[in-house]
Amino acid sequence: MSVDKKKILVVDDEESIHLLYKEELEEEGYEVQSAMSGEDALKAFDTHQPDLVILDINMPGMDGIEVLRQMKQKRPGIPVILSSAYPEYKQDLASWASDDYIVKSFNLDDLKGSVKRHLSR
Amino acid sequence: MPDLRRDPIIGRWVIIAKERGKRPSDFVIEQEKTRGGFCPLCANNEHTTPPEVLAYGRPHYAPNAPGWTLRVVPNKFPALVIEGDLDKRGEGIYDNMNGIGAHEVIIETPRHDETLPAMSHQQVIQIFWAYRDRMLDLARDQRFRYIIIFKNFGRAAGASLEHSHSQLIALPIVPHLIQEEIEGCLRYFEYKERCVFCDIIRQERSQNIRIVCENNDFVAICPFAPRAPFEMWVMPKTHQSAYVSTSDSQFHSLTDLFLETVRRLNKALPKVPYNYMLHTAPLRDSALEHYHWHIEIMPKLTTVAGFEWGTGFYINPTPPEEAARFLREIRLDA
Repeated sequence: MSVDKKKILVVDDEESIHLLYKEELEEEGYEVQSAMSGEDALKAFDTHQPDLVILDINMPGMDGIEVLRQMKQKRPGIPVILSSAYPEYKQDLASWASDDYIVKSFNLDDLKGSVKRHLSR
Repeated sequence: MPDLRRDPIIGRWVIIAKERGKRPSDFVIEQEKTRGGFCPLCANNEHTTPPEVLAYGRPHYAPNAPGWTLRVVPNKFPALVIEGDLDKRGEGIYDNMNGIGAHEVIIETPRHDETLPAMSHQQVIQIFWAYRDRMLDLARDQRFRYIIIFKNFGRAAGASLEHSHSQLIALPIVPHLIQEEIEGCLRYFEYKERCVFCDIIRQERSQNIRIVCENNDFVAICPFAPRAPFEMWVMPKTHQSAYVSTSDSQFHSLTDLFLETVRRLNKALPKVPYNYMLHTAPLRDSALEHYHWHIEIMPKLTTVAGFEWGTGFYINPTPPEEAARFLREIRLDA
């Protein structure tokens, strides 16, 4: 019997992040979808109905904070993890709408731990 | 000719570019679009913030639920953490310690679109009470030496959320800027045996050229050497070094005067981004003869750039005498 995989939407404008996250998260047994911009992310959010979103903040066009607001407006219960290279954005109260804030690193232990925690709730 | 002016407390110099003489209408204030969408500070979203440490307006037995009129919560992603020891240590000539502190957010209203100038007396007095309540509570923690309270309004002033809020940070050290101010006050006191702020208030009231408004207990002035156009200080008229010593009746006066001040500012410069900071005596130094608590209001109308960073000088295109006159002549009932 096959078990439905949990779906994760990764939103980032850097190709290398997608490759890294996809490989590591698929190894953990998740299905990973990608969006390269805020606008694409909102479309993918409606189409694919992910179980969790990993969201970059600094993106050209619509920034991650705006995407976060709109996603939470549509589905208040959706877990969203902000993933940024800038730890100082943690001070930005707008990031409070997210469920976690992870500073980008090649070591994905923190990210994977957060994903597991939020998907098991 | 520009005027070089020296602040009598810390000796900071500012350049008042008199010939520019910018009036409120000369400043271009970018009107921000309402972002809308989900707001973690709104009523009914209490589950998205860390558990509250203070709430007014609803029974204590129902925490983190709607019905509140003001709420205080710890920062969800704090820069300084409350648990742990300071572990002060030296590495050669360098000092460091663990990042211990408290960072809290005062959610001033349950309504997303309610701004400070539009709030009622009752709503604003709650904000001032909350500042005192949180200061008294955090002061019990012996690791903390100073509590700074500030508000950022508008994106240009550092506020990323539209929902009206202010912030509190408890620190294990007295910040350099505050220390410099206290030392300036002490130098003046040692020389004249008087509080410099009390002398400023006395002189400003007698000259009446930089007073914005006043009532029985408080006064708002544009300081003699302001860093920013329309900078204002709100001060108690009688000597008081610690904000937490403010009496209940003084809180009513403070609320009246503060509301009048921000309403005048908002009428002169609609929706101008601003910061305000509450400067008070360090924790456990509550009754200082030489220090005087006050609130500094700094509208964000100019940019701090290389010259300011490099020299500590500020260039201000609006003389405080003109700013005070504009603000004083505003008709709030019109």
